[in-house]
Amino acid sequence: MFFTYLRRELRRRRKAALVVASGLALGIALVIVVDSVSAGMGRAQDKVLQSLYGLGTDMTVTKAAEASSGTTAEWPRFRFDAQDDGSEKEQSTDRVMVQGFQTLASSTVGKVAGQSGVADAVGGLSLQVVKVSGEFSRGQFQQDASGGGAGQGRGGGPGGGQSPQGRVQGGGADFDVNSYSVYGTDVAEPALGPLTTSTITGGRTFKESETDAKVAVADAAYAKEKKLKTGSTVTVKDTKFEIVGIATADSGDAAADLYVPLKQAQTLGDAKDKVTTIYVRATDSQRIDGVKSAVQKNVPGTTVTTSADLADTVSGSLSTASSLATSVGKWLSIVVLVAAFLVAGLLTSSAVSRRVREFGTLKALGWRSGRVTRQVIGEAVVNGLVGGALGIALGLAGAWVVTAVSPTLQAQLGGGTGGGRGAGGPGGFGGMGGPGRQTAARTLDIALTAPVSLTTIVLAVALAVAGGLVAGGFGGWRASRLRPADALRRVE
Amino acid sequence: MYELSGVTKRYTRGKATVHALDGVDLTIADGDRLVIQGPTGGGKSTLLQMLGALDRPSSGEIVLDGTDLATLPEARLTRVRSESIGFVFQSFNLIPTLTAQENVETALVPLGVRAKDRREKAAEALASVGLGERRGHLPGEMSGGQQQRVAIARALVKQPKVLLADEPTGNLDESTRDEIMDVLDRMWKELGLTFVMVTHDSAIAKKAPRVATIRKGRITVKENASA
Repeated sequence: MFFTYLRRELRRRRKAALVVASGLALGIALVIVVDSVSAGMGRAQDKVLQSLYGLGTDMTVTKAAEASSGTTAEWPRFRFDAQDDGSEKEQSTDRVMVQGFQTLASSTVGKVAGQSGVADAVGGLSLQVVKVSGEFSRGQFQQDASGGGAGQGRGGGPGGGQSPQGRVQGGGADFDVNSYSVYGTDVAEPALGPLTTSTITGGRTFKESETDAKVAVADAAYAKEKKLKTGSTVTVKDTKFEIVGIATADSGDAAADLYVPLKQAQTLGDAKDKVTTIYVRATDSQRIDGVKSAVQKNVPGTTVTTSADLADTVSGSLSTASSLATSVGKWLSIVVLVAAFLVAGLLTSSAVSRRVREFGTLKALGWRSGRVTRQVIGEAVVNGLVGGALGIALGLAGAWVVTAVSPTLQAQLGGGTGGGRGAGGPGGFGGMGGPGRQTAARTLDIALTAPVSLTTIVLAVALAVAGGLVAGGFGGWRASRLRPADALRRVE
Repeated sequence: MYELSGVTKRYTRGKATVHALDGVDLTIADGDRLVIQGPTGGGKSTLLQMLGALDRPSSGEIVLDGTDLATLPEARLTRVRSESIGFVFQSFNLIPTLTAQENVETALVPLGVRAKDRREKAAEALASVGLGERRGHLPGEMSGGQQQRVAIARALVKQPKVLLADEPTGNLDESTRDEIMDVLDRMWKELGLTFVMVTHDSAIAKKAPRVATIRKGRITVKENASA
């Protein structure tokens, strides 16, 4: 009788039931969309952090920024001799600098690895290579008609000897500047470090035996630009490296344009037994803060940056959207849900008011108040479940639309943290900072997705049942207080 | 058997107090057939509600088979209603979404009768009022007379000791009224019920062996020798 009565009543009051269910559906759909978008934001942030750290890295250790001493870092100098006019001989020179000009001794890696809670630690050396190449020819001195014979000036200046009257014509410079990054990676520890942010899509990665081999893995984007492929060679500061593999960044920019064995990088950068960054994996994610404290305490002169620290530096539209999702979205969901619960409760209560004679009759027939209340609550819970089903469908559709549209969010990672390379691709100087500056700001484009987890669905069902119970509570309370005599006295 | 003594029911409306019943003394023997008449607002329906354990008096005793309904806890009153008393209302009071059969079954639900037995008993009750063929119909698909027959079947399906009817023919035309009264009279005789009916209809009152009249909460009972 319970289910028959319930089914018939819901069918009879389809419109009212639909209004209650729609209100709950809206609230539940909003919760699903906000929850899934928040999860998407979380994933996007994880991707951003992974693009810096790589998988498995819980924190990085870099040299602590030193107080400015007033001296400037040693900037590269390029010297070229002018060629005779007409000579097309290209001159080229490159300079290799340690990224950020701050290094730690390789022995620090061992110290960090020895800290309690550290599962693994590897060092890496980040280099910036600037290559200038081109032609630089002398100008031709033209003597005025009143002057002596033609002479040659050097570098565009007047020639020596008597001061003949005339001027320099022709000559000048035509050169390109090429800047790219090279990362020295510990080939014995392939599971940790910046190369884990990329997938080998051509050739192979380093062999563990290639600790000092002249081999390199090129980033796919850089390889495409420079027409590099596996088997070809690339020259860095007069050293030829064979490209053994092509790595494609999983998201955003790659950590470097070229990856070489750490020893080779140290030789190139004239940084023997030096590293710029130590990548650390903790034994347990719960111990990350403890490990951070231990490293800062026991390994002086270092800066420890965890994923959480790095996440705080994320700004841009990703950060704004994330804040919106967690603040405005959350509160909007709560407000809509509370409103939906209240509306459902009031409508159910109002429906009970319209059915007082019906419930009065049932009580006159001997139905206990509890049975009448259960009937009202049962109807409200079914309404809630219908609303929940509609809400889940609506929420899934909303999440699907977000994922299908995949709005692009920009994540800007502020400088001052270790682990990343400076911004600025090949051909630019953007990545070079002054002394004490670990990294420059870096911008990544991340496509937003809205993954719906099983937990979200369970939450939605729980909210639907809760909504039904709240509505049923309102109505049931009212029905339970009806006195049969009063109910039957009511003229409808 | 009902024994009412000094039954008073007062309602307070603002500062005014209305005496719906004012010291009613009344005895209704088992198997008795009593018609209650009186002007509108005189207290007829209030008395019927007291007899049906739907309401409690402000003072006095309403003893049904040795149990004082005035002091019985709510749960026991509910039980008395479900087991011993059948109601027939002027507006039929059928559940509009349930079929005739299901409406009749609602009276058996509080007694814990199994679904199969409920269906059988309800079908028998409907057949006894001549609606065996209409048991799958909704109230909205039936005439007023048919709906009242369903209400009678619902009142009698649990085989109560008492049948209380509040203006059962008030919403019916003359011929239908006679049909319904024939059904009620037949049931009263066949089942040996105590039958108390409130009515404005003098034609019905003339046929009753006892007629109680309530005016301003006070009752007078007359035996009807011609009935």
